[in-house]
Amino acid sequence: MSSRVFEEVVLPHLDAAFNYARWLTKNDADAEDVVQDACVRAVRFFSSLRDDDARAWLFAIVRNAWYSRVSRRAGAAEPLPPDGTMHDPADSALDPEARLLQQHAVTRVRDAIEQLPADFREVLVLREIEGMSYKEIAAVVRAPIGTVMSRLARARDRLSAILKPAAMPMERVP
Amino acid sequence: MTCNDVERDLEAFVDRELAADSAAEIRAHLGTCASCRQRVAHREALGRLVRSAPYYEAPDRLRARVSGQVQRTRSARRVLTWAAAAVLVVSVGGAMSLVRSTAARGDAMVDDVVDGHVRSLMGEHLFDVRSTDQHTVKPWFLGKLDFSPPVVDLASIGFPLVGGRLDYMSGRPVAALVYQRQKHTINVFVSPATDAGTGVTNRTLRGFHVRHWVRDGMSFWAVSDLNDAELTQFARALQST
Repeated sequence: MSSRVFEEVVLPHLDAAFNYARWLTKNDADAEDVVQDACVRAVRFFSSLRDDDARAWLFAIVRNAWYSRVSRRAGAAEPLPPDGTMHDPADSALDPEARLLQQHAVTRVRDAIEQLPADFREVLVLREIEGMSYKEIAAVVRAPIGTVMSRLARARDRLSAILKPAAMPMERVP
Repeated sequence: MTCNDVERDLEAFVDRELAADSAAEIRAHLGTCASCRQRVAHREALGRLVRSAPYYEAPDRLRARVSGQVQRTRSARRVLTWAAAAVLVVSVGGAMSLVRSTAARGDAMVDDVVDGHVRSLMGEHLFDVRSTDQHTVKPWFLGKLDFSPPVVDLASIGFPLVGGRLDYMSGRPVAALVYQRQKHTINVFVSPATDAGTGVTNRTLRGFHVRHWVRDGMSFWAVSDLNDAELTQFARALQST
């Protein structure tokens, strides 16, 4: 690892780091600041990256950077609302009306996830959107795998309660 | 296997984190229990919804800010590093220099594979041929390579083929097949094998998972930031086609 420079190892995960920070902070400006703070720390700690999981390593630093910001402004109001510059994954192959419907569903899901407490939100994002394994998530959030699993269970229960009933029409099993 | 067992292992089951035999037991139970079936289907539907949520990409200005900052921090630290290195050279007398294990040499290919993957994602050159049709992708390689890579679409199990390109690994041209799993790209580098290979090699390097196997005289390297379990599922499916 030591023969590799920071840019080659860490920067390929910058999008993922930003996505994670964006879900933690719920707005673009804070997410950018958190990732920038995290990268400054990551350069400093780069020599401590022993194992080869650079993404989980960077995420753990992002999480710490976010946490120290939140505790710095403890007592402050909830973070600002999203500024609308999100990159939604609406399928450009769809016709405008279908795209509008899809965008509506995407917004609904995003709002529902954002209502979850941060520790539920993050395990859900790490698992479903970043596609991390329990082991990787455990390394990021520094909790045992069993805790990761029970947080995921509770996050999913909460989320499905929030989304019920309109967004969950596919419950019927063939 | 009771409904309580399913309840207990529900998350691990839908997240494919359960051991194969336990997962098989649950599947057998689902065959006979409609309410557990519904519970699993509900979880899977919820997963699909969450995965439709936005993926926020880092803005270019952030990338620029970070690069600039990294360089400034490094030049400030380089002075300290050189000072530390000088002390080390004096005390060790260079006796330990350049000790590299054979394992490290064997890792060179893994390194190349991860480099190839990162290059394809950072640059604009992910595709030479962009198509979800294996019958378009496979002929594209004709005349460009001295071998014909096997090309299969795995869309039916959630890993659609999205294209291919010509790439270079260890100084020789290889076929790169590109698959997609939700927001994750999987590169599969295919070239004629130089040895028989022994089973599937699992590696993780710089946050990317790598699988390597040899089949029918072809060497396969699959690489992605997808989680281990799903990459294993993908590699298994590709091996059994």
